[in-house]
Amino acid sequence: MSTRHLAILGAGAGLLALAACGPKPIDPHRQIGANPYLPPVHQYLMPPMRVAQVIGWGNAKPDVAPGLQIQAIATGLHNPRIVYALPNGDVLIVEGGAPPTPVNRPKEIIMKWVEDSAHGPIKPGNRVLLVRPGPNGSYSAPTIFIDHLYSPYGIVLVGNDLYVADTDAVLRFPYQTGETQITTPGEKLVSLPAGPIDHHWTKSLTASPDGTKLYVGVGSNSNITENGMGAELDRAAIWEIDRATGAHRLFATGTRNPTNLQFEPQTGVLWAVVNERDEIGPDLVPDYLTSVKDGAFYGWPYSYYGQHIDPRVRPQRPDLVARAIPPDYALSSHVAPLGLVFDTGTNLPAAYRGGAFVGEHGSWDRGVMNGYKVVFVPFTNGRPSGMAQDVVTGFLTKDDNHVHGRPVGVALDTTGALLIADDVGNTVWRVTGAGS
Amino acid sequence: MTMDTPRSTARIGGRPIHAMLVSVPIVCFGGTLITDIAYSQTYNMQWANFSAWMLAVGLFVSIFVVITGLIDFLGDRRIRALREVWVHGLGNGLALILAIWNAFVHSRDAFTSVVPTGLILSFLTVLILAVTVWNGRSMVYRHGVGVRPEPRQ
Repeated sequence: MSTRHLAILGAGAGLLALAACGPKPIDPHRQIGANPYLPPVHQYLMPPMRVAQVIGWGNAKPDVAPGLQIQAIATGLHNPRIVYALPNGDVLIVEGGAPPTPVNRPKEIIMKWVEDSAHGPIKPGNRVLLVRPGPNGSYSAPTIFIDHLYSPYGIVLVGNDLYVADTDAVLRFPYQTGETQITTPGEKLVSLPAGPIDHHWTKSLTASPDGTKLYVGVGSNSNITENGMGAELDRAAIWEIDRATGAHRLFATGTRNPTNLQFEPQTGVLWAVVNERDEIGPDLVPDYLTSVKDGAFYGWPYSYYGQHIDPRVRPQRPDLVARAIPPDYALSSHVAPLGLVFDTGTNLPAAYRGGAFVGEHGSWDRGVMNGYKVVFVPFTNGRPSGMAQDVVTGFLTKDDNHVHGRPVGVALDTTGALLIADDVGNTVWRVTGAGS
Repeated sequence: MTMDTPRSTARIGGRPIHAMLVSVPIVCFGGTLITDIAYSQTYNMQWANFSAWMLAVGLFVSIFVVITGLIDFLGDRRIRALREVWVHGLGNGLALILAIWNAFVHSRDAFTSVVPTGLILSFLTVLILAVTVWNGRSMVYRHGVGVRPEPRQ
């Protein structure tokens, strides 16, 4: 690890002059909310890359906002990405990692090296674990709930059917309340776009409130079409799947990487967090939180935030750009929102009720770190109604040079506590109201 | 008696290494121009990928081309005395700088990894190589740089 970091540091120092040729990052607050400031496109010779060295948590814990407390409920995990609470209080932890992908360009050798060093040496478990709450806030040690999955990510229970979104298929498992292990092989409901190239591999998953439909977020197969448009068939889209038949249609398109989907509880509208494109500046393009309109096109790859054309895409499609709509709420650039959950419980302070928690995995394509925290977006009448607030921070050290962990999926457990999967600290955190 | 020729210092079994390796970057950088043109006409990313790999391979082999060329340059005073050698060396140095710049441009994603900057750099690189390759051939075929002296009767 340390030799790799030294090498990255050396290469980084050598290329500092090139990377420094870009615009200075702005205050991220100018890009949070409904009308983000969008600077001009800047194309680099060497895009800024900054990742922190992984040091783990030791005895440290993340910092929480006033009125909250935090504890670890599972440690020593293997790349936990998503947490999900079953109705009996059991907590499922999805350990997933990227499937092997081919190297198509010299650049990808370097990119893979940077990504690996941002994640640490732990190999993903590619399985689902279970922890059960015990007396006095204790939890059982994690046990294997479903094993031998293929880059799993999204998970949702509808009645007695538990759905897991592997990178290449939605699988259905039979589940009975209280079960601690499922050994029955999953039954494939529908295939999803996957390899051999599988650039954005995570398949987020949720179910409609009435349980008849499943929604899957399928990410693009590239940053910005560099693997060709042929690789993008049915990708950068949110799929709607009929639960009974497995038939699917594209519910919304142009969403580059929709990494989490949730229904807003008051209005019953589908919301998504989406990761936008890289390498055109530290402040382009802001990642976002948006309600998802049936049939809408959100721009990728041709444009962003409505009709802002991306110069890297040819041939262009003016007909599609003309009907591209801007998303509802920008979260600022390169924060990498991966987790989304609405506060429907009563455990956390009343100020959080009805709003959205967003897990921000954190930036790499930026000279100044952004994200690496869980934020709260207040909602009123089912719409965002104010500036995002920090809820859980301290994933980075104060000097931004070392990283304890990185937040991914977030969920509420049956008591209304906020659960956070941390795929670099290899921990699941539980945030409760200070008095509870 | 023999007619003496400037000697190549970096050689294997009497064969000059520089002259053996120098064809690789010449072919790679020439090929890059062709695949860049193919991409700009088709938007098929496969051509741009070709360009990126050829630039990478051309630059990698150039490391050894530069080292052996400098050894030969420093190894024999008679080589340094040739006007063609200076045009050849400085021109290739310039072409190499353009190719390094071009490799960074080609590391961008999709259209702007080629058009317009990459395509222009590929063209300029080939233009310079046309001159320096001409000079290189003069060095070998007119001045006998690195050529084994023939015994005269």
